[in-house]
Amino acid sequence: MRHTKAASAGNSSRIAYRVYQDPAVYAAELENVFYGPTWNYVGLSAEIPNVGDWRRTMIGEREVLVVRKPKNQFSVLPNVCAHRGSQICQARNGNTDNAFMCPYHQWTYDYDGKLVGVPFRRGVKGRGGMPIDFKLRDYNLSALQVAEINGVIFASYHPDPPSIDTYLGEKMRHYFIRVFDGRPLRIIGYHRQMIDCNWKLQMENLKDPYHAGLLHLFLVTFGLFRLDQKSETVLNEKGGHAALLSRRTPPEEHTGNEEIASYTPDYTLEDPSLLQPVMEYDDDVTLAIQTVFPSIIIQAQSNTLATRHVIPKGVGKHELIWTFFGYEEDDAEMRTRRLRQANLMGPAGYVTLDDAEALEFSQNGVNGALSNDVATLLLDGDQVGSTDHLVTEAPIRGFYQQYRDLMPSEAFDAD
Amino acid sequence: MLTNTLATKHIKKTDRERLKTLIEILQLDCVHRIDDGPQETWPDLFVENCLYRITSRENWETGSELGVIRCESAGMLRDRITASQNAAVYAPRTIRHILSGTSIDTIVDDGIHCRTNVAIYQTNADGDTVLLMAAVYYDLITETQDGLRYKEKHLVYDTLRLPDSVIGPL
Repeated sequence: MRHTKAASAGNSSRIAYRVYQDPAVYAAELENVFYGPTWNYVGLSAEIPNVGDWRRTMIGEREVLVVRKPKNQFSVLPNVCAHRGSQICQARNGNTDNAFMCPYHQWTYDYDGKLVGVPFRRGVKGRGGMPIDFKLRDYNLSALQVAEINGVIFASYHPDPPSIDTYLGEKMRHYFIRVFDGRPLRIIGYHRQMIDCNWKLQMENLKDPYHAGLLHLFLVTFGLFRLDQKSETVLNEKGGHAALLSRRTPPEEHTGNEEIASYTPDYTLEDPSLLQPVMEYDDDVTLAIQTVFPSIIIQAQSNTLATRHVIPKGVGKHELIWTFFGYEEDDAEMRTRRLRQANLMGPAGYVTLDDAEALEFSQNGVNGALSNDVATLLLDGDQVGSTDHLVTEAPIRGFYQQYRDLMPSEAFDAD
Repeated sequence: MLTNTLATKHIKKTDRERLKTLIEILQLDCVHRIDDGPQETWPDLFVENCLYRITSRENWETGSELGVIRCESAGMLRDRITASQNAAVYAPRTIRHILSGTSIDTIVDDGIHCRTNVAIYQTNADGDTVLLMAAVYYDLITETQDGLRYKEKHLVYDTLRLPDSVIGPL
């Protein structure tokens, strides 16, 4: 079904398929969203516990190093030598005593990216070397802005981004510190997968409770997430962040199964130990999925906690990195519980393998679409705001509202 | 005879070669049940109180116990099979394991620790094939009345960024 732009003026309930397949839109996103006035997730401080520990990660298509400095401070540096652009660190992570040395010509930088050494700067026996007016300080790495909340590290390429608290907003900060409450975190492990679809489809998926109550039969059957549950969706003022919250219900309270075409009533598990969560926060919420614009997801499904970092890899592909964590204070039972429930998530997750598959179906579909085709996001009207139910697409509209704010309009709007 | 040799841990070269052959037959049987089915019979190759895990080398080397799939009983193995048949949505595909020979690492009271390199290919409905993972099985195999069975199976993959979802056991 075709819609004209007039029908979508002023709201985000129609999304041109072009945004998932046009290299010009993708280039504008890197510049305006990932390298613009946004805060991008770069990791957890528990991943770099000791001074000098570093990890490689990505913001958009740019590679950065996240470094632990003394006194619980962090720096985020481009992993690109100021000399001739060589990648400085190649391992996924490591530790350095005091400096990062580019392997190509051994230019050396301190934890803050300050250039501290250039071999043969004065030449050999008075010949060659750098010009007399060469100053090390003109060739520092351009360190990014850094913010940290309770062990979660964000970085921004923008020289003067809003404070992280302003960026999240009060409501989103509330849900953020529900999980990241200041207790030391314990890293459980990682999953990494490549998914053949535009990065925004991944973010949309976690802002789309409608699909979760239909696609994910595992959740629906065992009551881990259902559209009939007591639930909310909460958005920040700009709309780009969202929290989806719901409460587990026993099967006898389930309604609406007849609406779910694929529902299989007699499906059960032989060993249901992975479905035995315990409540661990001061509320009755059993599933909380928070998305922080542009590209991080915080998952608290029962007792399986993870960040999911969405990294664009060209217009039709993204990488998804899952960092599973718990708390240092977890006892043996909780550690086992988190490992068991991790079966719900990841590239083989009882829940999330459906997502990766459905997202590729989406990309396959839009790749073949006509240039002026649009996606329809009319569930729960065209409002962009919080709701006390899950039968809504408001969080996706909210995402595009904040996205439109950053993007040049000609790159985004349907013709 | 095998049980006796396992118990004493002193096995002659000929017994070791026989053991290796028996393990290789088990390994092939295992991957054939996954690739060609019936998958429902795959859990029969494990003891009830087993551990099955697929994880990355990144996790394995840091001592992480996380798995892309982590099953702590044969019941959980059977649940993985029924979930992929009843509760999962995915595009059709074919899986093909290419096994190398098996080497026996150590023989302990619990059984035989052995290792088998494996390349796992995936072919989609259009017939395009990709390498899903370059990996190794680290297995702990024990002898039961029904023959050799897996007590532990760890599929550890080097292909950190998996190119696709993992629909079921591998």
